[in-house]
Amino acid sequence: MKFSILLFALYQILKRAAKKNDAFRNYIRPMRARILIRTADGQRGRLFIFNKGVISSVAGNQRTFDAALVWQDAATGFSVMTDKRPDASFNAAADGKLTVEGMSVYAQWFEDGIKLVL
Amino acid sequence: MAPIYGGHLVAKYMKEVENVSLVFTLSGGHIENILDGFTEYGIRTIDVRHEQAAAMMAHAWSIYRNEPGVCLVTAGPGFTNALTGIVNAYLDNVPLVVLCGRHPLRDDLKGALQEMNQIDMIKPVTKWQATCYDTRRIPEYLALAFRQATLGRPGPVFLELPPDILFVAVEEETAPVPPRRVYKSSTHPDESELRKAADLINGARKPLFLGGSGVGLGDRDAMFETFIEKTGIPFALVNNGRGVLPDNHSLSISDGGFTSINTGLPQADVIVAAGIRFNWVLQSGQLFPNAKVIRIDIDPHEIDRNRTSEVGLVGDCGLVFSQLTPLVNKADHSSWLEKLRKAYQAFMTTEQALRTTPSDPIHPIRLVAQIMEVFGEDAYYVADGGDTSYFGLAGFMSANKAGVLIPAGNLLGCLGTGIPFAMAAKIAHPDKPVVLLNGDGSFGFNSMEFDTAVRHNIPIICVVNNDCAWGMIKHAQEMSIGEDRCTCAELGMRHYEKMVEGLGGYGELVTQDQEIIPALKRAAASGKPACINVVTDPTVTSPATILFYQDLSGF
Repeated sequence: MKFSILLFALYQILKRAAKKNDAFRNYIRPMRARILIRTADGQRGRLFIFNKGVISSVAGNQRTFDAALVWQDAATGFSVMTDKRPDASFNAAADGKLTVEGMSVYAQWFEDGIKLVL
Repeated sequence: MAPIYGGHLVAKYMKEVENVSLVFTLSGGHIENILDGFTEYGIRTIDVRHEQAAAMMAHAWSIYRNEPGVCLVTAGPGFTNALTGIVNAYLDNVPLVVLCGRHPLRDDLKGALQEMNQIDMIKPVTKWQATCYDTRRIPEYLALAFRQATLGRPGPVFLELPPDILFVAVEEETAPVPPRRVYKSSTHPDESELRKAADLINGARKPLFLGGSGVGLGDRDAMFETFIEKTGIPFALVNNGRGVLPDNHSLSISDGGFTSINTGLPQADVIVAAGIRFNWVLQSGQLFPNAKVIRIDIDPHEIDRNRTSEVGLVGDCGLVFSQLTPLVNKADHSSWLEKLRKAYQAFMTTEQALRTTPSDPIHPIRLVAQIMEVFGEDAYYVADGGDTSYFGLAGFMSANKAGVLIPAGNLLGCLGTGIPFAMAAKIAHPDKPVVLLNGDGSFGFNSMEFDTAVRHNIPIICVVNNDCAWGMIKHAQEMSIGEDRCTCAELGMRHYEKMVEGLGGYGELVTQDQEIIPALKRAAASGKPACINVVTDPTVTSPATILFYQDLSGF
């Protein structure tokens, strides 16, 4: 549950940043990208849709995405995504707790964007 | 001694002093006497259909043979046609020697045939350029050209030879031939800088080595190997440094293509970057803000370019490795390497699944995997195109030095390099398979060179990754201006295999996954220059396109 709330909160933060944060607004302005964050079992997830500066989001395990960050479970996803250390995602991937489906370049773009906001 | 023509003097010097065995050229009236000299002195010529290909083949020859490649082009349009290939060599720091015809000195400012100021045009894109005005000084000028091309940071040189000096004969003893100078001096860093570098390497917990073309130059591969095996540093070799140690070396991360580099660099605490520029491909060095960086480069201006380094070691990479190796501790970074491997593989799950899963329409990643299935790691691979370059870079693996080259991925982004590079690879390594993965767009630039391949019996295998479009441009336009407004991006379905058949080569069209391997085997068995035209998924794009688009959209 905490993971789903975190994803929803992230959506709200990104939506607000798209209006108020100049750096983030410029960062997302040219891009069209669909980033899915979900648990491996597909029980929890949220799709973030970036369309030329406009952000929307859909809850659930959506099938169409450019990149999907797939967390081993919700607790892991929550703890790593709220971890401020720069190597948190790297370590999670190395430990088998995170995989990326689709094109990882989009996942990297998303992570770099998050850093401008959080 | 007998009289000798200027053109013959060119050939004599190159054969007897520089040991040039092969020249890439396209004939022309102004250079006829040099061509006759090649016949006289037994220098092989490969004559192409467009001078751009001659420059590109000579460029590639420099890499595959580790010696200056020579191209000879005629005046005016021969010169301008070669220009793209020369610029590409300039940005790639390759010791290309360009010999060029010129309108007669006698006819300067008269409106002579092909009269133009070639020297001023070539000046910004060559390391050295000159016009020879005296037949007797031809060997001296050639000696200067070859030394300028190879000493220090290599680069292309341009020597203009007018017919006034080529078509006249002089007594041979009046044209002294300088000896081939072998310099015993070398540039190397100060001991204190070497110690600083060694201290950083010895204290590193997560080091990464990134080697570029400077590592591939010269014959000092063993020094690099000794350095790497003593330090135990995981490494990635790119550009013309690829294959100095085989891609399947236990410390190599080449199996991850750019994903492994982009994953590893931000995590590394010490980066040893040798013979590589921090240009746009490496995001100007901004990918690793927290790492301590040791730069090794023969050009001191590169040391802090775009990114301040903690230590700069100026010198030939091989010599620097030989000086640095005694100062570093023997180390084992296998746990860091294992962690890095697991991380980048976690970022490549889709790519890895695509390699092993039949696809319909055919996915380019699957196509590359099938090519590897047939030809393995003891082959030479070239990729040319936009997205196609990425797929080649990510999927091809070779045990050979320069076994995977992506010339269109270099600074000039020069499409059309594939066929000339593949032909040069095949001439340099006739007993090995040479496979070119060519985008359908980039195939168009030099595809007439299949005629050259047929005439000179150069049996390359060209696999066209045919998405019926300028894929990288099309997908970038879809992102920027929208799918319904793509402009000048579609090419449509074309039977490139029939074009090659028409020129005397072997051709096949492939539309189904299961047809790929049999077609490749038939192409290899044909013994002819071959084109396998593979229709691939037009919706597929590559990470390179996303990065390309991001780079151009941040204004």
